[in-house]
Order: sequence, then structure tokens, then C-alpha cells
Amino acid sequence: MTTLSRSWGNMTTLGKVVVPLLLLVLVGGPILTIAVGLWVGPWLLGVLSSNMGIVRFVVAITGVLLFSIPAAFIIIYMELKVIAQMNLRVGPDRVGPAGAAHSVVAGLKVLTKEDFTPKSADVIVFTWAPVIVFLTAVMTFLVIPFGPGFIDPVTGERVGGLVGQDMNIGLLYMFAVGGMTVVGLLLAGWSSFNKYSLLGGLRSAAQVVSYEIPLTLSVVGLILLAGTMSLQGIANQQEGWFTNWFVFRQPLGALIFFIAATAEANRTPFDLTEADSEIVAGFATEYSGMRFGFLFFAEYVNVFIVSALITTLFFGAWNAPIDINAILALVGLTPPVIALDPGSLGIGLLVLIGLAPVVLTALFALPFYLAKSSRPAWKALLIGFVLFNLFAMGILTLLAYIGWGWFAGLIWFFIKSFAFVFVFVWMRGTFPRVRIDHLMGFAWKWLLPAALLNLFLTATAIVVVKSL
Amino acid sequence: MSFIPGIGLVRGMGLTLRRFFQPKATIKWPEEKADVAPKFRGRLQLLYDEYGTLKCETCFQCAQACPIECIDMGGVDTKGRFHVHWGPPETYGERREESALRRSGRPVADTAYAHFEGIDIAPLDAILDAHDYDPKELLAILEETQAEYGYLPVAALKHISRITGAWYAQIYGTATYYRHLRFEPPAVEAVAPAGQAQIAAEDGFRSALDAALGYGGRAN
Amino acid sequence: MTEQSNHRPHLSSDDPRIMLDGEIGQFENVPPYPPRTEREAEFYTLADGEMFLNMGPQHPSTHGVLRVVLKINGEQVVDLDPVLGYLHRGVEKLCENSDYHHIISQVDPLEYVSSLFMEWAPVMAFEKLLDVQVPRRAEYIRVLTGELLRVSSHALYQGWMALDLGGLAPILYSFIERDEIVEMLAAITGQRMLFNYFRIGGVNGDLNHEFMSRLGDWMSRALKMHETNIALLNENEIFVRRMRGIGKVDKDTALRMAVTGPNLRAAGVPFDVRRAHPYSVYPELEFDIPVRGANGGGDSLDRYLLRLDEVRESIRIIDQCLHNMPDGPVMARLPRLLRPRPGRAWAAVEAPRGLYGTYAISDGTDQPFRMKIHDPSFVNMQLVGMLMKGNLIADTMAVMASIDPVMGGIDK
Repeated sequence: MTTLSRSWGNMTTLGKVVVPLLLLVLVGGPILTIAVGLWVGPWLLGVLSSNMGIVRFVVAITGVLLFSIPAAFIIIYMELKVIAQMNLRVGPDRVGPAGAAHSVVAGLKVLTKEDFTPKSADVIVFTWAPVIVFLTAVMTFLVIPFGPGFIDPVTGERVGGLVGQDMNIGLLYMFAVGGMTVVGLLLAGWSSFNKYSLLGGLRSAAQVVSYEIPLTLSVVGLILLAGTMSLQGIANQQEGWFTNWFVFRQPLGALIFFIAATAEANRTPFDLTEADSEIVAGFATEYSGMRFGFLFFAEYVNVFIVSALITTLFFGAWNAPIDINAILALVGLTPPVIALDPGSLGIGLLVLIGLAPVVLTALFALPFYLAKSSRPAWKALLIGFVLFNLFAMGILTLLAYIGWGWFAGLIWFFIKSFAFVFVFVWMRGTFPRVRIDHLMGFAWKWLLPAALLNLFLTATAIVVVKSL
Repeated sequence: MSFIPGIGLVRGMGLTLRRFFQPKATIKWPEEKADVAPKFRGRLQLLYDEYGTLKCETCFQCAQACPIECIDMGGVDTKGRFHVHWGPPETYGERREESALRRSGRPVADTAYAHFEGIDIAPLDAILDAHDYDPKELLAILEETQAEYGYLPVAALKHISRITGAWYAQIYGTATYYRHLRFEPPAVEAVAPAGQAQIAAEDGFRSALDAALGYGGRAN
Repeated sequence: MTEQSNHRPHLSSDDPRIMLDGEIGQFENVPPYPPRTEREAEFYTLADGEMFLNMGPQHPSTHGVLRVVLKINGEQVVDLDPVLGYLHRGVEKLCENSDYHHIISQVDPLEYVSSLFMEWAPVMAFEKLLDVQVPRRAEYIRVLTGELLRVSSHALYQGWMALDLGGLAPILYSFIERDEIVEMLAAITGQRMLFNYFRIGGVNGDLNHEFMSRLGDWMSRALKMHETNIALLNENEIFVRRMRGIGKVDKDTALRMAVTGPNLRAAGVPFDVRRAHPYSVYPELEFDIPVRGANGGGDSLDRYLLRLDEVRESIRIIDQCLHNMPDGPVMARLPRLLRPRPGRAWAAVEAPRGLYGTYAISDGTDQPFRMKIHDPSFVNMQLVGMLMKGNLIADTMAVMASIDPVMGGIDK
């Protein structure tokens, strides 16, 4: 900033370049935008609308990338608070309301730290390792189905939905990309020129690779049952009552997947890679600043991915546990179709928008004003206003839930995913860590045979049921 | 060589979930404060009695009793005399005698802290400047000071300590080591300094001793 | 000023000014000087595939400032060299220059976790030198507060053990328990941690209302809390798998290495100073000595479970003390300046970590000539090197935590 506010004679070389450019942008910018909008605009819109698929894809991946950061923040906050509550202490409670802004501020703090490279580290690998870890974690967001699509009137099946890209090998893509995380961890551990990091990186390589196999094998049974590897397809098949969920048809597979996924996400009890009572921070010992922030966030994004996977595969991704349509059909009603036409209200719309907030605020404030004689009127009105907002948001959410299927699905998806995140955090607060040889023994001697057994039983059951 | 996650793990998780809902043990300072036992002696404050007067009578008993001698205090006794006792002495060897005297509570006639006469500092500043305020050249500074004033006044030593940063005790110790440096004005005319000769003699003695004992050459 | 020195000074590998030039092999010359003893020579030569891992003084889990140099082959520890001295404060020398009364506050910070025991043995030794008769009420109060502190120390041990294995919850629970006990002791002694409560000839203050109400409150919940805290860890399969079979010490090894305390009793030897060389009022109290690992020796799990048994016994002792507390003064009348006759005295107590003893030599003046402190953790730490051969790095923590060392006592 001081570069710009100096006079020309005192300006640095950089300033002499930046200031004219800035003036050019400030003045020429609006002119250019208008010109482009008038001439180039229609052509641009034409191009976009004819390549809707690509546009949709770009919007989708931007969306999921932007979503991953708040998800990580929420999970970090949950972890701090939930583990604290389990330890009979109060977690962060100073920064925001009940400490909600704590993880955001922590993220900002990580940005402001000094970002150094150890002297003898391999600089290129050291710099790119966190990027690989973060990228592979976030790339898996592409195939997770966040919400249902609409029912195609011709085929009667669901099409589309809130998915980044509904690949028909979605599950395979997920395991492939997710398995690349170990490359990043190994590079991070190796390039740090630190024995602790080396140990952490090698342990993580051994762990992730050996738990990949039970992970993938345990869902093969599911794939046989569902007949598709597309995650949206699997989610579509769990529609209706909660008994349709695959966890009841593949209980052993679900258990194995849960355990293997805990190991894949490097969570307790399998968190030897960052065992901070033995090898101070594992592979991330030499990292600081935003590079450490990347590794840190990547771990929490992984936790979300893994719980989203469990939800999608076994617990009916975006499906509500009860089938509203079936219940209503029993009673004889049809599901309401919210077709709001605000214009039909006429002058009533103006009255609604103008008067409803005021009247409802006063209405909600009245009992609080009357109940406590020492309460001033403005405080009561404030409480009333907050309650009115909650009421209005509640009504709108209800309308959105009923009206838009994808909204309802999104809400259910998040409820279920964060429930599993809570389970992961709960496990972290309870269990000690396993040893490396216990870990490997467990994966190869118990989980792998169990997954094979599951596959065998599923295949047998399919053949038997089909022949009947 | 393996384990099946069984009931124990789930019961442990049940315990943590129960703890999730129990009242928390945190005391949210500064809104809530912990109750401190009346006998707690970690409070950093002087106590007042119910009439509002200070309970401390500066009787030096706590300073006398403190095993690490970290208590200083100053106060007026019943005869109106002001006593003040400062922090720990710098050298460990003279700790015993000096501290017993200090801990007795009697006023200590310490030449270092007693009243000393002022001197004209300007020549001393010139000497220090000539040696670049380097405490490593302390002997030369002290010799020139003695040449200037005839003896080493306390004010001069304190000034040297303040300017060069060396401890007063270090300067005092250096001054007392050499026999040609004195702290009182000479009764007769000044004797020629024997500094360099003494140093050379001591060096010769030390190197002869080293050679006799078989050590290699050591730096002074 | 002095001229710049042209050669690099000879720095030891602990010196923070060490300049790395990027040589890979530089780390393997861990001591840059040639080895001085056979053990050093044996330890600091690397075979093929081995490397040194330095769990340095700053580490989340080394129970204080302890530096442990591990020689590892992959994940397996081949040899272990603990480097002590990072917490050395010269306590014995300080004691030589302090009056007899001041020694009590000097000696507190050894084993800061259980500091009343650290005061107990010197006080007993001086009472022997001075032929002081301690009032019975004072003895009962000493036993009461001592056993309370033993419960607190073992509670901390539980949490610490779990923390070193990776569980984050039990240490918080331990600290809640410990906080209650420590507040109790603050009500009677005036401090929460380094109590400075015992005096030569008794204790500093009598029981007061605050202490008794807190104690009664605690005693009504003590056993139940003990059971609950056990439940979190004892049945946890991961915890048990990490500790069973690790660090097995049999009777002969334990006796040979002069281990005392719970580590010895977990190896099958029923030796407790309270019964073997009775002191204070322990002969009048009824309690058992729990022993584990009687056949074959005890591993980490046995040491852990033994300390839990000891907590139960301590609660029993506290109960008896409360019931049998006699009346009387709490301190014998002694002059301010103590000059015992020239002589020597040895006194030992059963600290939560083992036999803690003091050998005091007085020369007739008001300061002891020598106060030799025999600390249990110092001797118990020797076990770590022996037990670690062939185990994994993660077990280093488990073994060290199960032996329960406190660096303050080791480094004095």
C-alpha cells in the first residue's frame, strides 16, 4: 500500500510498474466490461449453453472445492468441542458464540505462520507433498452424491442429482484417487530430512496400503448386490424405508468397511502416522504455516469423505429413513406439490411483506415483555425479532424440504455424514493407539479373510436366491 | 496375534458418551473463580487486618528463614531507622558468612552500598573511551584509574560497572586480586605500579607448573 | 574487541549452535569424541541397517526432560541409551548449605508428584539424629496425607500411562481426581503441589474443618470413582494388547537391578518398606501388600493393575487413620536453630515409586555435612534399557510409562 501512496520520485521499481497498471485497470475496467458485455456477451452465452455439461462440471467442482474448507472447519470445531466434552472440560468457548469461530481463526493463524523449509530438505518434493495430499483428498468429492435428481418421466428412474460427476465407475474412482494420498504422505515424510518424519511416512505407507485391500474387498459384495459402481446409482437403490439400506443386507461388509476406513483416514485407534506421543508429529514434523495447514485440512477432509462414503454405501445416502409417500398413500393423500405463485396474492403480497415481520415480531415479543417486569421493551423486541427470524427460516426450510427433493436429500445427507463424523471423533476421544504390528496383523489376518468371507457369502446368497 | 474389537471397546465408548452429558469440571475463569482454601499461602499480596492496617511488620523473619534468600524488604523499625536488605550475594563462596550477617536483620555496613563520595567522572570517561568500554581490558582500566585518582574510589568502580556492563563483583574481585590496586588513598606517595611484572611472574609460574604436571599449553 | 576466530569451535552434538553442512552421515557421529567406556563403544557403533533416533529432552512423552537415544532397525529397537541430567538442580548440594529446617522445602521438588514422601524420609533421618519423639497425632496425620498423595500419584500414573499409549481421555479424568485430592491437601498444608508440610518433629498444621469436609466428601465417592476409572481402560482390548507381555521383569532380574516399589511387587517379590522396615504408625494399621506376577514375572499390565490394587489398600489405610486418630499436639517442641550431635542416620519410606531413602551425615553444625538421597526412580530407570531390547518404538513409551519414573527424582 505504501508503494502506491508515494510520489513518483520516491517510488520503487515495483511501484512504478504496479501503479500505472492499477490505474489502467480502474479506469479501463468498466469500459472494457461494458464493451465485452455488449459484443462478446451473447456469443459467450451461446457457447456456454451449448456445452452445458462442461459448464456444469466446472461449477460442480468449484462448488465442492469451496465446500471442503468449511466442512474441514466444522469438523475441526466438532473435534475440539466433542472431545473436550467427553473429557469433562469445555472446549473453545471464547472466540465466537460458544467458540464457533475458533477453527476459522485457527486457519487464519496457520496462514500467518512462518513458512520455512528445513535446510537439507528436498525442496521441490517438500513443497509439493502437501499439495498432493490435499488434492487427492479433495478430488474424491467429485463423485459423492449429495442429493437426489429428478424422476425422469419416460423411464421412471432418477436421473442426475447433486453429484459432481456421476461416473458409472464412481466407487473405483474414489478408491483410486483416495489411495494416492499415501504417495503424498510418503513424499512428505521422506523429503523432510528428519527421522521422525521418515518413520511417520513409512508407517503411513504401510498402514494405508494394507488397509486398502479390505476396504475395497468389503464393498465388492455391495457392488454385486447393487449391480452398479456408480455412487448415485447405489444411493438410488436405497430409496424408501430404512430397511432398504444396504447395512441390513451387508452387515459384515459395513463393519469391515468402517474399520478399514478409520485406518485409511489415519484416525484413532490407527493414527500411528501422527502419533504425537511417540514421533512428535509424524510426517508433518517439519511442516509449518500453510503447508501444515494443507496437511491438517486434508486429514479432516478425509474424515468427511470417509463418513460420506459410509453414509452413501450403507446408510442410504440422501434418503430419509421413513417413506413419506408411502405413509401419505396409506392415509389417502398425495404428496403436496408446492407451486407457489406469489403474483396471485396481489396486494396481499405487499401486505405480507410489509406487515408480517412487524406484527410477528411484536407477537413473539409480547410474552417475554409481559413475563419479566424488569425487562425493557427493546430487549423484548429483540428477542421477538430473533424468534421471528427463526420462525420464518423454519417455514421456508419446511417449504423447501417439501417442495424440492434435492433439498430434503441434502439435509439428510449432512445429518447422516456428520453423525458418522461424530462417531469418528468419539472414537478418537476414547481409544488408545494400536501398535504397528498389531495393525498389520489385524489387517492381513482378520479383516482380509473377513472381507473374503463376506464376498463369498454374498455371492452364494445371490446365486441361491436367483435360482429359487 | 490379533484382536477382535469386542465388548470392552464399546463399553469404553459408552463411558465417554456418558461423560459427554455430565456437568463439566472446568471453572470458567474469569467469570467463575475457584474457591481457595483459607490456608493457601500462594497469594501474592500483603494482608490487612480488620482495622485496615497492614499486617506486615518488616520483622525480617521470613527473609531470614527463606532457604533460597529470595525475599528483599525495606522498612522502618520502631526507632525510626530504615533498614533495607537487597537480593542474593553474587558469589557462592562467601554466601555463608555474609548471609548470616544479613539475615540477622541488623543494619549491614557494606562498603559497596554505604554512602560513598562522589568524584569527577570526566577523566574516568576518557579512560573508558580509550579502552573502547571493553570489560576484558579491566586490569588496564583499573590501573589507569588508580593512576588518575591515586586509589580506586567506590564511585569509580560503580561507574565502570555501569558503563562496561561487567558486574560490580567482578570488578571488585579483579581489583582485590592485584596487590598494587588499593581502595584507600595512599598514606605516602604512590608506589609505582607493579602490574605487568606481576602478571609476567604469575604466567611464568603457571606455565612452569603446567610443564611439570604434563598438561599442554593452556590459554590464560 | 577480540578478533574473529578463524576456526569453527569444537561443538558437542548437544550444542544448539551446531552448523549443518548437509552431510548425510553427520548425524551418525552422535558423540563427536571417541567413546570413553565400553558401553559407549558398544552403543555408538552402528551395524548394517540401523540408525539412531533421538527422543530428545523436549518430547511429549518422556515423563519430564529425559533424552533417550534409540538405536533402531526399522521399527525395532536394538539398543537404548538414556541420557540424564537435564533436570539436575543440585539438590544435595543445596541441602548441604541449608539449615535443617530449610531442607524440607529444598527436597520437595524431587518427585514433585508425590512431594510429601520426599519430605518424609529426610525428616525421619533428622529425627533420628536429634532423638526427637514425634507425637502420635502427627504420625497419623503424616500417614493420612501420605496415603492420600499415594492415591493421587497412582491416579496420575493411570492417566499418564494411557496418554503415552495414545488415549486422550483418561488423563483428564485423572487430573479431575487429582484436583480433588490436591485441593484437600491445600486446605491443610497451604499449597497444592510442593507442600512443605512436614516438619522435624511433626507436621506444620493440624487438621481443620475445610480439610475434613473435603475428605469426607471424597471418601464417600472414592471407591466408586476408582471402579469407574478402571472400567475405561481395563477392558479396552487395544490397551491390554499394548501392555500384555511387554517389559516382562522376573524376580531375579528385579532383585538384581535393585528395583523397588510397585515394579518389584509386580515382579513377584512381596517387599514393601512399610512392612519390611516398619516406620511411623504402620505397624498398627491393617493393610495387605498386593503382589502380582508371582510366577514368571510381571509385565506392564501387571504393573498397571498392581498400582490399582495399591489404591484400594491406600483407601483402606486412610479409613483406619480417620477412625483411630489420637488427640494431642501435632509438633514436638524444638529450637529454631538445630544442632544435632555428629553422626549418621538413614531413613527410608515407601514412596509411590519405590524405596525413597535419605542418608544424613551431620557434623554438629546447623547444616548437614552431607545428605545423600536415594531416589527410587533413579534405580527403576535402569530397567528401561534392559527391557527394551527387541521391542518396537511404540513400546518404549509403554515400558517407560509403566515403570513410572519422575525426572525430578532421577536428576535431583
